[in-house]
Amino acid sequence: MEAIVVEGLRKQFDPPKGPVAVDTVSFQIGEGEIFSLLGPNGAGKTTTISILSCLLRPDGGDARVGGFSVTREPEKVKALIGVVPQDIALYEDMSGRENLLFWGRMYGMSGAALNKRVDEVLELIGLVDRQKDRVDKYSGGMKRRVNIGAALLHNPRFLYFDEPTVGIDPQSRRSILDGVKDLNASGVTVLYTTHYMEEAQELSHRIGIMDKGAMIATGTQDELVRLVGERTRIDLTLDREAETLAARWRELPGVSSVSAPDDGSMWLSVQDANVLMPKLFDGARAVGARIIEISLAEPNLEMVFLHLTGRALRD
Amino acid sequence: MRALSIAWKDTRHVYRNIAGLALMLVAPLLLATALGAAFGSGDNFSIAAVKTVVADLDVGAEAGAPAAGATIAGALDNPDMADLLDVTKVDTAVTAKATVDAGDAEVAVIIPSGLSAALMASDSAGSEVQIYRDPALSVGPAIATAVVSSVVQSLNGARAAAAASVHLAVSLGVTEDSELADLASKSAEAFSGLAQSEPPVTLEERAPLVPGLEQQKRPNVASQVLVGMMLFFMLFGAATPSRSILDEHREGTLARLFTTPTPRSVILGGKYIAVFLVVLVQAIILLLAGWLLLGAHWGALGPVVVLTLCGAVVAASLGLVTVSFAKTPAQAGAVSSAIFVFIGLISGSFTGGANIGGAFAIVRRVSPLGWLLEGWNGVLFGGSWQSIALPVVAALAFALAFFGIATFFFRRRYA
Repeated sequence: MEAIVVEGLRKQFDPPKGPVAVDTVSFQIGEGEIFSLLGPNGAGKTTTISILSCLLRPDGGDARVGGFSVTREPEKVKALIGVVPQDIALYEDMSGRENLLFWGRMYGMSGAALNKRVDEVLELIGLVDRQKDRVDKYSGGMKRRVNIGAALLHNPRFLYFDEPTVGIDPQSRRSILDGVKDLNASGVTVLYTTHYMEEAQELSHRIGIMDKGAMIATGTQDELVRLVGERTRIDLTLDREAETLAARWRELPGVSSVSAPDDGSMWLSVQDANVLMPKLFDGARAVGARIIEISLAEPNLEMVFLHLTGRALRD
Repeated sequence: MRALSIAWKDTRHVYRNIAGLALMLVAPLLLATALGAAFGSGDNFSIAAVKTVVADLDVGAEAGAPAAGATIAGALDNPDMADLLDVTKVDTAVTAKATVDAGDAEVAVIIPSGLSAALMASDSAGSEVQIYRDPALSVGPAIATAVVSSVVQSLNGARAAAAASVHLAVSLGVTEDSELADLASKSAEAFSGLAQSEPPVTLEERAPLVPGLEQQKRPNVASQVLVGMMLFFMLFGAATPSRSILDEHREGTLARLFTTPTPRSVILGGKYIAVFLVVLVQAIILLLAGWLLLGAHWGALGPVVVLTLCGAVVAASLGLVTVSFAKTPAQAGAVSSAIFVFIGLISGSFTGGANIGGAFAIVRRVSPLGWLLEGWNGVLFGGSWQSIALPVVAALAFALAFFGIATFFFRRRYA
C-alpha cells in the first residue's frame, strides 16, 4: 500500500526567472518503508521534503501523505508527520525537557499524557539524567538526540529526516542510523534525504536519485545498480594529476564514464576490465604519469549516479 | 492554549536576558531619577537661591535724602525674595565682579555712584545699573535682572512724574526753586506709592486648563519624566520579543513550528501576545518602581490602568511593525532603534511633555506616543476619563494600523 504518493511536484523560486528547484517529480513510498532521496547538494531534496512537510507550497502537482493532500489538507498531513530538520532547531535557553514539552504542545498534546510521553522519549534518546539541563549546555550529539526526540513526541506515522548526519562525528552518525532503523522497525514510514551514498545503501528499502531538481531514477538498490548493466568499476590513483588523461580514457572503447576529482584519484565505469586495464597503463605512461594503486569493485549507487548524469555524486 | 504556550516561551526568553532587562527597566528608572534630581523631585519645581553680590556705590543726590541705590539694593535683599536671591553686599565694583569671576556668585549688581543725582537732575545724561553675570548661567541672572529692572522702571516713572509736575507748575507761574523741589519730591513719592499699592495696569498669567479638569494639580517632575522614559523604553521592550520571529526564522525553529499542526495564525498570535505581555509587565514594574522609589503620583487608578494597557498595545504594535520590514535581527535592531528615537523626539518623551505647546503640540500628534503622553499628562495633572478619551482612541487607531501592516508583511513572508 502506498503511504506517500508524489505526483508531478514542481517548485520554482522567484518565478519566472528564478531556479526550478523541483521539476515535475513523482514517486511513491510504501507503508513501513525507508525511502531515501539521494543526490548532490542542490538536487532538490530539501525542497521536496519541505513541500511534503507543508512548509512550501508547490507551484504544480500534489502529494498525498497518508491519504491527505499537502496542498488542500496541510493540517491533517502535519498531524501525521514528524520532521527532523538538518540543523538543530531547539530553544537553547530551555532545558531538554522544557523543549520536548513545548514541542509536544505544538502537536496538540497536554497534561499527564504529554508528561508521560516526554518521559518515554527522554528514555528513548538517553537523556533522562540531563533532562533539566539547558540545551546550550549539551554536546552536539545530545542536541541531535533532542532534535530527533522532538519529532517523535506525537507518535508520528511518517518521519522525515533531512540530511540528519551532515557535519557530525562518526559515533553520532552511527547512533542516528541505528535509531532510524529502530524507528522503522516499530512501524514508522521514513523519508530520508542524504548525499551520502553509503547511508542510502545501508538504510533504504528503496531509493530515489535526484539531480538538478529532477527524479532521475527510483527503485531498490539492486534495481538501480542494474541500470548500469554489466559494468565494472575501476578505482585508481595516479602519482600526479593528469587532466588530459581523463579525456583520453573517455575516448577508449568500452569506457562508459570517468570520474576525475582533483586529488589524483579516478574511477571508471567499464564493460570489460581485463581488456581495458593494459590500455589504462599505456595511456598513463604516454602522459608521463604512473598508476600507483588500482582496484576493481562491483557497481554501486555512486556509479549509478555517474552513469545517469555523467558526474560523480561528490562533484 | 498553543498561542499561550508560544507567548509564555517568548516572554520567559526576554526576561531571562539580563542586558535586555537593563534596557527595559533600569535605564528608564535611572534617567528619571537623574532628571528628577536635577529639577527637584518634590511636589513643586524648585531651584536653589541665586547667589547675588550687590555693590551699591550710589552716594545720593544730597545729604540726608534717600538714595535710589538703596531702593534697588533693598528690593534685592527683601526678605520676600530670600528663597530666590541670596544677596551679599560688597563695597566696590571690582570686588563684585571678582566674586562672580571666582564663581562665588552667579550675578553682580553694580549701582553707579551718580544714580540718585541722575534721577534728580533735570537734564541728566543718564546713569546705568550694571548686571555682571556668569555667562554660562541664564536662570539665576534672569531673576536678579528682573528685580532690578522692576525697581529701575519704578524710579524712572517717579522721575517722569516729578518732571511733569514741575513743568506744569512752571507753566502756571511758580518760579520759587524750593516750591518746585518740594512739588517734584511729592509727585515722585505719590507715583511710587500709587505704583506699589494700586497699580493701574496689572499682568495676570494663566496656564490653560486641561479639558475635563475640575482642579489643577501639579505632579512632581519625576512622574512627568518617568512617563516619557517609560513609553520610550517600552518600544525597546517590544522590539526584543518582536525580533524573536526573525531569530526563530534564522535558527530554524520557526520552520519547525510550521511543520507542526499549529496553524500559522496561532503561531503569529502567540508572538503578538508575548510582545504585549513583555511590555505590559515592563510598564507595571516601572509604574510601581516610580511610585515606590521616586514618589511619583500617577493619578486616578482607572485612567492609569487604561493608559497602561493602551501603551502596551501601542508599543507592541510599533515593535512588530518595525521588525516586519526587516530581513535579519541585526537589521531589525538598527532600523527599529532609529525609528524609536525619532518617535521619542517628536512625541516629547525626553521632556516629559507637560509644558509642550505651540506647533510642537500639533507635531507630536503624528506619533501614537505623542497621544499617549497627552493622555498621561492629563491624568498626572488631575484629569480623569474625559482627558484620556481622545488620546486613547487616537493611540489605539495607530496601533490597529501598525498591527495590520505587520500582519500583512509577516503573512506575506511566511505564508
